Amino acid sequence: MLKGFRIRTGTTDVAGAKRFRGTSDKEQKKRFRKDRHKAKKVAVFRYAYYAPAFKYFAEQVLDCDYLPLPNATRRTMELGIQNSADDVCAPFKHMMGDWMEALESGADVLVQVGGPCRLGFYGEMQEEILRSLGYDFTMLNFAHGIERGYVGWAKEVMQTVNPDIDIPYGVKQLMACGSMMMKLDAARDIYMANAGFEQERGAYRRAWNGLLDAFSLCETSKEIDAAYAMYLEETRAIALAKPDRPIRIGIIGEMYTAIDMDSNLELDEKLMGMGVEVHRMLNFTNRYTRYNEPNLRRGVAEYMAYDMGPTTTLTIAAAKRYAEEGFDGLVHAKCTGCTPEIDAIPVIRRVSEDYRIPVLYLTYDTETSDTGLMTRLEAFYDMLAMKKEASL
Amino acid sequence: MAILTSVSSGHPLRRIGIPRALLYHRYGILWETFFQALGYEVILSGQTTRALMGAGDRASIDEACLASKAYMGHVANLVDRVDAIFIPSFASVNHRAGFCTKFQSLPDMVVNTFRDEKLDVIALSIDDVTDERKTKAAYIDMAVHLGAAPRDAKRAYKEATTAQAAADEARARRTAETISLIERYRKVAASDPSKREQAPPLLLMVTHPYLSHDDYLCGDVADAIHDAGAFLIQADECDHAKSLKRSYDFSETLPWLVNRELAGAALDLQDAVDGIISVSAFPCGPDSMFTDALMRRVQGIPILHLTIDAQSGSAGMQTRIESFIDILRFKQEGGYLSA
Repeated sequence: MLKGFRIRTGTTDVAGAKRFRGTSDKEQKKRFRKDRHKAKKVAVFRYAYYAPAFKYFAEQVLDCDYLPLPNATRRTMELGIQNSADDVCAPFKHMMGDWMEALESGADVLVQVGGPCRLGFYGEMQEEILRSLGYDFTMLNFAHGIERGYVGWAKEVMQTVNPDIDIPYGVKQLMACGSMMMKLDAARDIYMANAGFEQERGAYRRAWNGLLDAFSLCETSKEIDAAYAMYLEETRAIALAKPDRPIRIGIIGEMYTAIDMDSNLELDEKLMGMGVEVHRMLNFTNRYTRYNEPNLRRGVAEYMAYDMGPTTTLTIAAAKRYAEEGFDGLVHAKCTGCTPEIDAIPVIRRVSEDYRIPVLYLTYDTETSDTGLMTRLEAFYDMLAMKKEASL
Repeated sequence: MAILTSVSSGHPLRRIGIPRALLYHRYGILWETFFQALGYEVILSGQTTRALMGAGDRASIDEACLASKAYMGHVANLVDRVDAIFIPSFASVNHRAGFCTKFQSLPDMVVNTFRDEKLDVIALSIDDVTDERKTKAAYIDMAVHLGAAPRDAKRAYKEATTAQAAADEARARRTAETISLIERYRKVAASDPSKREQAPPLLLMVTHPYLSHDDYLCGDVADAIHDAGAFLIQADECDHAKSLKRSYDFSETLPWLVNRELAGAALDLQDAVDGIISVSAFPCGPDSMFTDALMRRVQGIPILHLTIDAQSGSAGMQTRIESFIDILRFKQEGGYLSA
């Protein structure tokens, strides 16, 4: 399944030793000396469960130190709100808080991604705001070089962060990093589908945390595979008390809010806590590594003729697939003002009408209350449960 | 690529409707001329009114932006009057000259919203407006799809782009004329030793064309400015190519073409005008970041930002504009230094 990401060179990886390959003695000495100096500390914004992969990227691909961020707090959010434009979308504010905390704890390099919506302008604006606040740092902004794809990004990395990256080694480790992200997605899918039915409370959570810890310590692709195999073994051993026809809910929506637990107030955990089988097609794997927008759109041709935005095709395709598979309900999660997902709603409404599947629309902003969300989810669950009972 | 979304009902296609909203205010002349040259009767939706906005509001998701709701209103206005409605989709393949995703999703959003009305939509997708060859191919493909001969389609496209370019040029010329008029006035005023004569303040409006060219949505702002005795020029009525080029001094990664043109015009004209008025529809995605960037990067000139929402009263806005222009006049007279 992950063949594309298997490393092709036969030799064992010894981190560091191979990076000097193919250079002159003088060059090697120079680089060795450079290595004795303090490495740059790289921070990436908090995003869902991908921190171990970000760490792998910083250490193995960029060849820098990774600066882990503690869990976000109320203060993170407040820093973000204070230093962002009022009506910018919520992920911008979350990230602003992340950056300020990262810089306070010693980060030298901030890594920001580019994207097809407002996200493409995030890096430049955040850099400007942080500089005007007086912070000193380097931003590795993947919105630069995006026109030239991987080549442009590689140049950007070499120019801004580390000119000494051994490209073949870096590419190999980037593949391994991608494989880790895909394994995280697969592991999360298993977790969301089953954790609501475990007999021993917390067993899945334990295995999941163990996987995150193990991934954080990985240095090679083999270690990633081993850690994942361990997780599969552990989760398979967990005893389940799953009814024949459990309530199944599909989470659809916007790339950041629908996945990130700080933004969606642990939406998936809340549903699992009620004993729901949760599915979420939206993740890194399905949006990036396996994303084939035209073909995905072909499957929902009765609803859309053109690509409607960054994640909209995936949202509609997931909605239709869950409806066809007989799911009990859908939860659509997005941040306030997310234009592409607002535009998806008229289409989701049609899917909901055609397949008679209930949809709960959630719009998150930075002030969303936990209790309010719980009440809405409980009411939604009760409605689905009653509907299911009546249909049996 | 041009695809016909749905022309289903089988009746002959004679009257094509174009909603007078969003990008109509930028490419409208091209569209009208193109369809007329192909032999269709083009019917525009009526001017924006309160009733039309109400219809748009009812057809929209609450959270959609004001401009999008207006668009839905214009579509609703056309539904019974035409054989099909023309709704293009503008994608953002070019990361530096794209559009808000709203412009990309319009045809599908409209088709789904008006599904029960069995609305016929003619659509085409333009991936990158800066790629003239592909853009031309998209229009010609669409015309051929509708049954035109390729030769006629090419001729119609040429006629349409020429008409649009001539209109853009005329607008840019008018802007330049206003600026030079005010400059002459300023010179005359400066040569008057009694200092009693002052040139009227010249304001630059940095606004999406769908607002600045819509009398209902933005007319109050323009009226208030004129009533206060100031002159107004529009940032979108400048040489688009020149503004786009200049916008790279403003920002490298700004993703939206229209915002780029506004930014470039603001940079080019900041020394020629006395103040800038920036107007956004509520809640505008691109402007939520662009306005912040404008405030940070265009320094040394007063900027007033206004957000237009569905509230109907204009008194508050008038007061703000009047006091802004008072400040500009005070500054012209020398400000605090001369007081």
